[in-house]
Amino acid sequence: MDDTTQKSKYKPVTVEKPIPLQYDLAILAGFDTNALDESRLKNDADTYLEEYTRDGTQLIINQIFKLPVTSSDLGVMAELPDLVTVLPREKPVRWEKFAKIKGVQHRKKSKMIYDEATGEWVPRWGYKGTNDDGANDWLIPVPDNADPFEDQFTKKREVKKERITKNEARHRRNVEEAEIALNQSKGVNDVNTRSLRRTELQKQIIISKTATASMGKFDKHLEGEPKLKGVKRKFEPIIGDVKKEKESSLNILNKVVGKKGDIVNVRKAIAKRDQK
Amino acid sequence: MLKKIIPKNARSKRALQKREPKIEENVKKAIFIRSSSTSQIVNEALSDLCKLKKPDAINFTKKNNIHPFDDDTSLNFFCEKNDTSLFVVGSHTKKRPNNLTFIRMFDGQILDMIEVGIENAKSLKEFKTSKCAIGMKPLFLFNGDLFENSHVHKTFKNILLDFYRGEAVKNINLSGLEHIISVTAINSTLEQSNDSRAMPGLIYFKVYAIKLKKSGEKTPRVELEEMGPSYVFRVRRFKFANDDVYKLATKVPKINKPKKIKNIDVNEMGDKVGRIHLGKQDLSKLQTRKMKGLKRVAEDYAEEYIEEIPISKKQKV
Repeated sequence: MDDTTQKSKYKPVTVEKPIPLQYDLAILAGFDTNALDESRLKNDADTYLEEYTRDGTQLIINQIFKLPVTSSDLGVMAELPDLVTVLPREKPVRWEKFAKIKGVQHRKKSKMIYDEATGEWVPRWGYKGTNDDGANDWLIPVPDNADPFEDQFTKKREVKKERITKNEARHRRNVEEAEIALNQSKGVNDVNTRSLRRTELQKQIIISKTATASMGKFDKHLEGEPKLKGVKRKFEPIIGDVKKEKESSLNILNKVVGKKGDIVNVRKAIAKRDQK
Repeated sequence: MLKKIIPKNARSKRALQKREPKIEENVKKAIFIRSSSTSQIVNEALSDLCKLKKPDAINFTKKNNIHPFDDDTSLNFFCEKNDTSLFVVGSHTKKRPNNLTFIRMFDGQILDMIEVGIENAKSLKEFKTSKCAIGMKPLFLFNGDLFENSHVHKTFKNILLDFYRGEAVKNINLSGLEHIISVTAINSTLEQSNDSRAMPGLIYFKVYAIKLKKSGEKTPRVELEEMGPSYVFRVRRFKFANDDVYKLATKVPKINKPKKIKNIDVNEMGDKVGRIHLGKQDLSKLQTRKMKGLKRVAEDYAEEYIEEIPISKKQKV
């Protein structure tokens, strides 16, 4: 008797629901799938919803207060469980970057692997490789939920092709980013690798043009090729400074035969003589 | 597309690092934008919804020519510029009056968006009650089986959870449970809609302040007081991510998954107990006490040796 009078002083904390609520306490959420009273919702939505939400909130609060607690100087803290609801991320996971932070190292894989089914050594990838996911099998069972008229062989091949192109794109991106990082370390602050490569290529074209005596005057012109400035054919006078001419001729000769040091390797010559 | 920024000093480098993709992500920030034409209701709704999301929210008070279902370039721009992935665009046209579009982005692209029309709006100001503090984590309550059965409602639920869940935390202060967002969906057969562009059914969006009262027990008695804002939504257009993109967006990085700890338990007494596997002990090699009487003579060894060789082998030899 005493117990009941004690309790009647306060309003109850228990709520009866035909279908129990689902909870995701990591985000403090409760999901109520019970049927709602349509006529009350139409006539008196505000009070009905307030009552209904109060019951739901009470149930969520009951669940939260059941969680294990720790007391800190800020107050009583409840430990939340792991998230149940699947929520999308904001940005994609970049494995390449995280691997670096984590210190994951690349290990070189051997090309050939042992196929236990046939007892042979086969390439890991490529022609006769093992990574074809059974696209080379003579028979593929059609999955239950698949379209029976769909060709499973082409499907598998297409999936693989898609995987390859995706991986190639990822590879290209990684290479480009590495290139940017390398350029930055050299002090070039251009992010666009394409424009960097373009300027590099143009420089090389100019150099190649000077290889002919006509300075590329009669070469085939490329589309969008820049007009060369300051590159001119230069003629030496036929009669001029003899001293200069001699010097230049000797320079050429020096370049061809006159390496620094002795022209004749004496030690080698003696050895040859002794052989005879 | 924005030009990629190269940090020129340490401060901007740190700022850029904060924006990089991380394993444990930042709180998703939201921008509340007004489209080219809005109404008083829409403006108030945008600022109220923004107040609920604060401090991870930016309210754009100028008009922008944004129509998310037709063109997403400016949204992509805002997303990249402000490092935000959530948007609410408000508009008001003759075709779709009092319109709110909830948008969620992934990797700078629109993941999914849903458009709702506002009916019976009551702003935060109209409720003369005490409001919750800024940055408090709300509770959520979703009423109605539609949130379980209808794909559109399910996604809307997911978007709302994503919008207002705030920072992912391991612990919560029990005295910090200040307000609850209650969303009720009903596929009403009684009401007649004059909005031909909307899906049948209503969604009630209400926010209540929680008062925890004594109950004589450990768990307190809950009393609610409506704090606002309060809306009745009608779902209009929507565009959801295809499965491939969604799968990519919900991929959990391997490093995030907890590693399974083997052979270490905590028993009922709270002691840490480890289990070690030693393998099978070879008892034949066990050195017992040496005694003269147990010593084997040379003949024993010889006999054993002969016995061990199978007969067939012996013949061959």
